Amino acid sequence: MLIEQLAIITTPKYSFPQPSINMLLPQRFIELSILSLKHAKNQPFQLSQQVFQQDNNLEQQIETTQIKLQPTLLKPRSEETLVAAVDTSSIKIGETSKGMIIAVRGAIIWKQKRNYRYLRFGPFIFHVTEQNKKEVYNALYRTYSISSHEHNHNCSPSILQMPTRIASLLERWLQDTLSRTVSNGLVLFDGSLTSGIAETSTRQMKEILGNARKRENIVLAFSKMTNLRFNGYLITDVAFGYKPPYLFEINGLKPKPPITLLGDVYVARLTRGNYAFRLDIDREVPSKQKVEAVEKLMGNDLLIQSYPETLRLAHIFCTFTANEVIAIQHFIARKYDLRIINRPDMHRLLFGPFGKGESCS
Amino acid sequence: MLVKLYKKEGNIVQILSFPNETVEKGDYLLIEDPNGRKKLIIQVIDVQFANIPGILEELLRSLPDGGEVLQGENFDPLEIAPHITYIQDARLLRCKIRATMENGSLRPSSSWLPSRPRSTIKKLPIPALLKLAKIDGKLPIILGSTKDSTVLTIDASSLDGRLNIITGKKETGKSHLSKLLMLNLVRYGAAVVVFDLNGEYVSLGMTSDEKRNAYYNKIHVLTPSQNFKVTLKQLHLHVLLSILIHALHLPGTSTREFRRIWQSLKEKGSLNLYELGEAIRNWSCNHHVRDALFSRYYALVNSRFFTDNLAEAMLLKESLLKAKKEGGAIIINLRNTSSIDRQIVVEYVLGKLVELLTSWKLKAIFLFAEEAHLYLRETYWDDIVTRMRHFGIFTTFVTNQPDTIRENIYRQADNIFLLNFTNEHDLEAVSRAAKVDAETVKSIAKDLPPHQCLVLGKVVKDFPIVVQVKALDIKTMGETRLFFRDTN
Repeated sequence: MLIEQLAIITTPKYSFPQPSINMLLPQRFIELSILSLKHAKNQPFQLSQQVFQQDNNLEQQIETTQIKLQPTLLKPRSEETLVAAVDTSSIKIGETSKGMIIAVRGAIIWKQKRNYRYLRFGPFIFHVTEQNKKEVYNALYRTYSISSHEHNHNCSPSILQMPTRIASLLERWLQDTLSRTVSNGLVLFDGSLTSGIAETSTRQMKEILGNARKRENIVLAFSKMTNLRFNGYLITDVAFGYKPPYLFEINGLKPKPPITLLGDVYVARLTRGNYAFRLDIDREVPSKQKVEAVEKLMGNDLLIQSYPETLRLAHIFCTFTANEVIAIQHFIARKYDLRIINRPDMHRLLFGPFGKGESCS
Repeated sequence: MLVKLYKKEGNIVQILSFPNETVEKGDYLLIEDPNGRKKLIIQVIDVQFANIPGILEELLRSLPDGGEVLQGENFDPLEIAPHITYIQDARLLRCKIRATMENGSLRPSSSWLPSRPRSTIKKLPIPALLKLAKIDGKLPIILGSTKDSTVLTIDASSLDGRLNIITGKKETGKSHLSKLLMLNLVRYGAAVVVFDLNGEYVSLGMTSDEKRNAYYNKIHVLTPSQNFKVTLKQLHLHVLLSILIHALHLPGTSTREFRRIWQSLKEKGSLNLYELGEAIRNWSCNHHVRDALFSRYYALVNSRFFTDNLAEAMLLKESLLKAKKEGGAIIINLRNTSSIDRQIVVEYVLGKLVELLTSWKLKAIFLFAEEAHLYLRETYWDDIVTRMRHFGIFTTFVTNQPDTIRENIYRQADNIFLLNFTNEHDLEAVSRAAKVDAETVKSIAKDLPPHQCLVLGKVVKDFPIVVQVKALDIKTMGETRLFFRDTN
């Protein structure tokens, strides 16, 4: 297999502490990206744009029993602490006759000494087909799993799942890299600390959290959406009648195996207003340190609508804009000679103005 | 060219262009339909950023954070970033359809649509455009050079019988262009009269190093009250009445009395200033009428434009006839002339011109009027563009205040030489001209550097062209007097 080898240069200039970043996964991303795109050469290409949200259906397999009725009131701690956040996103760029072209990108944002800095990985572009999806995914998975001594033999996502799966792999790698790189800091993840399925294995997540603890980091995971309910209400909608900032701990959550909760779950209302989020904090961290971590976050990061700015920026920096999608389409059409075709939209064709496109089917 | 036809609305065509294309305002493009029969000639009137979806998000992402741009590194192994920049920098060229070319001939039509995906678009170089539009002629006047260094030559006959306007804000080169046109008309034997408000044309016969040039003997500078005086005998009553009524605002009753005095003096053969004064003094009439006549009489005397000394008097007719024979310019130097005196002189000159033209003693005359609103009475504007045009007075108005020229003048203007304007109000005034579209004027004229001129109208066969006006080797007289010049 001949693979075009790109020189990957780490960034020695930036001030982010970087003891030993394992660049194996991005390298594999590049290799597989280029290889898969080579297979797409000269194919007809139907443009489209579809952003994939990472799935949160794990929560449906968790039963909620009780909420600790006493809130933990919070006071911002201003002692200087590095805050870093990770997020990834994926997007479908278009379809080929054999599959689809997707792009994934990840971003790390950190705040130190009042300044935000970013490190962006990607976009990595893949041509995913029925023929290569297993090969692509498993190759990436193995590359990451080697470091965590884990092998995944049953992994065969559907083509439609591939964008989120590949993005999840990149995200885990970025989370792991961050956990190994930062020390005495707060590491913010997008989503929860729930694990136990193919894209989020318990062993991987435990290793990430363990690496973070070794370097005195605390992992805080913010979920923008939650399905956890208490007495039929979403936990983030329950009105507690206290003045923010505060945390409410959710006790007695019973996940169905193999789902595992690696964090304690809270409802965090960190600023005034009606904004609350599910917050998972590494379970192995002592309770007092968990609360202190949230207070340090309040003292060191900007919180708007209860959401940390670092994490918001991570999301913004990895998200694909329409302009970038056009640029990616331009890149692949130019470099890989994809012939752009306009396949008729059957909804539009059949239902005229009543056909709103495939997404509403 | 890396451009694509995007949209057509009316006679506006929008072209999507990529950043490596160097297309600028004023450039001409040719859209060739694949069937090869028809081609559209369009002109770029504005270059905008293409409305790329997601651009706002992209810019917001790179906005400064607390006064500082968010610092960071991009690990972009596939090198997508240049493509993003490429897309972000995509341009939209707003173009105006100027003509359709079919079987080698041009017609001003925009009623057909070329194929959007299959049309080819290429630059139309100015020499090719000039050739296609046949912008040349037997009496060439080199106006200057276009952006691509092509010499723009117009035909002097395209100024013949036309109404022209030269306008632009001050210090952009209006007078310079006016002199260029005027000297070239003289070169082809035309008779030219210039109302020179600031004495800028008086040295046209001299080179910049103060030597006589080829025009020296053809430039006749007439300075009122100095070498330009007239006797009452040389005047026709209707010319003097025009001066009294329009320049000196003599009421009707007094005008009737003046007519009687004039007839009486004429019958006696004593038409001179002294006798006129005496006649008014002794005329049997209402004392208000007498006072009115006296005040006008003293205005005429004080102008020192009128004389009783025949040796001092100058025969305008002779100068004009000489100019008619050999070609030449009569420069009426109105510098240091008061507002009233200016009007008296202008009334006299125009009256004389009409007289000579109606009697066919003169065939036609090119009149260059600088800042005409300062001396031209209201009714003359219409006269100049309608009646006097038929007599053979072909006017070129030169002004830096375009709103002082009446709308109907713009509507009837055949050629407009537009230099830089930044003021919207000024551009609005010029855009009323029938020969131009407001969008072209507003978009292109704003960006013209000094001495570059947007030429519109018949001289360029209705293909607006930007030209860098040619330099002239003549002694400059229009420079502003500066207080700090010596210290600098």
